[in-house]
Amino acid sequence: MSTWIKVARYHLVQPIPYLLVTWWILAFSFGVNIAIYALVPNSDPAGAGSVPDGHYTGALCSIFLYFLVLGVNSIGRWLPFGLSLGVSRRTYYAGTALLAVVLSAADGLALAGFQAIERATNGWGVQMGFFRVPYLLDGPWYLTWLSSFVGLTLLFVYGMWYGLVYRRWGLIGTIAFVAAQVTVGLAATVLVSWAHGWTSVHHFFTGLTAAGLTGLLAVLAVALLAGGQVTIRRAAI
Amino acid sequence: MTPAIAVAGLTRRYRDQVALDDVSIELDPGSITGLLGRNGAGKTTLLRILAGQEFPSSGDVRVLGQPPAENEPVLRRMVFVREDQAYPDIKVGHALRAASWFYPNWDARLAGSLAADFGLRPKKAVKKLSRGMRSALGITIGLAARAEVTLFDEPYAGLDAVARQIFYDRLLAEYAERPRTVLLSTHLIDEAAALFERVVVLDQGRVVLEAAADGLRGVATTVSGPVLAVEDFTAGRPVWDRRRLGSQASVVTVGPLDEAARARARSLGLDLVPLTLQQLVVHAAGWPAASEAAEEAEAADPEGVSA
Repeated sequence: MSTWIKVARYHLVQPIPYLLVTWWILAFSFGVNIAIYALVPNSDPAGAGSVPDGHYTGALCSIFLYFLVLGVNSIGRWLPFGLSLGVSRRTYYAGTALLAVVLSAADGLALAGFQAIERATNGWGVQMGFFRVPYLLDGPWYLTWLSSFVGLTLLFVYGMWYGLVYRRWGLIGTIAFVAAQVTVGLAATVLVSWAHGWTSVHHFFTGLTAAGLTGLLAVLAVALLAGGQVTIRRAAI
Repeated sequence: MTPAIAVAGLTRRYRDQVALDDVSIELDPGSITGLLGRNGAGKTTLLRILAGQEFPSSGDVRVLGQPPAENEPVLRRMVFVREDQAYPDIKVGHALRAASWFYPNWDARLAGSLAADFGLRPKKAVKKLSRGMRSALGITIGLAARAEVTLFDEPYAGLDAVARQIFYDRLLAEYAERPRTVLLSTHLIDEAAALFERVVVLDQGRVVLEAAADGLRGVATTVSGPVLAVEDFTAGRPVWDRRRLGSQASVVTVGPLDEAARARARSLGLDLVPLTLQQLVVHAAGWPAASEAAEEAEAADPEGVSA
């Protein structure tokens, strides 16, 4: 465990990408959106505290995509230097995943905080839904926290897996990795069609709450984490 | 005594090539060994496998008595400085700080003084370092880690002569203060020859020579002089290379020369020049008996006086 923390700290030896760039990206994206909302006259009669239709920016996805990038980057050239410092692959992977989990929890909490401010200020005074995303991030603060936490971890871990696949099998291997995922999706689609199961799939998803979806994503995150673990085991540098 | 490094029957195959072919070596703790050979001979692959960065196709690898791969108690006691080490997007100071967290015997004072000797500035981004300065960073980490097993792969690529001398001096000083097992691959053989207690020469993935450096120094001699005298002197001796220029000949003969032979050479007006380590290595591939000859030389003259 203590070496896990050392590995997490190793990534933070250069803290700017993890602690600052996330917020630079979000601040920029927020600034752009608030400028647009301030420019466009808003005569929507929706009451205080609610977001009129179409006033959700969706720009919050930038932070999630950035976590995917961070995940890829945490392997890249960090893995070979990390392993050269006498860390085992197992520990490197666990420590990096630990960083992903802690960072996602902290940043998720910040997102929940910003969401509370957004609600309290009637969408920053311009009825903007930046930190609120319909259905996904629209509930109480702790659910926002939990869902952001799971989503950020999921993308970080997914990025790590891409980084590892690229490390082991290069560009062709990475393309094959994407193709394999598409194939799995296609196979699932075909199976559902054969079984005439689309109605039940539809029911399943319409009945799914944000909390339920978060649970599903958490299971997926664990599966991706396991996939990366298998991939790193024989990675040579 | 458990060998610091013990490799038996190690083979590493890649799709279209055999990088290591049935390699067996044993290195005692507390020794400096030169790992020599041409580009592509398998030196880096061997070092990567020892450091647990690469996996063998077959064979047994033990470092400090245990298999190194994914074995943290062993990995922590070992440092591997690679010529082509990839560094993340960080500064020199970051790299040294990160290294200090992982090596239990890390010596921050030593790291600081080495960095100062090499002119490495902590604020400089690693990716902006020249090739030589990047090597200097690797050397600084490799020495300051004070690891029981220290592996250097061509550690001073791109370093100038002054900086290389700093490396040799500091390595020897460190080694004297805290003996450790050093395995160092290099192409600058004669320059580093004085460091080595043993040498291992690889060629096309095979060990073609493994011997004590002292034993090697007297193992082959270039005999030169008038053709007839040279022919006369070398008759019956194993000969490894023959060159002729007009009435002069130059023959490399194998095996130690005793005092009588040397006296005879003098009386025949012949020049005797022992082969340097570098020349030995150049020919080692074509001369598989080198190891045995070196062992014989060592056995006959354990103090290495003939050198």
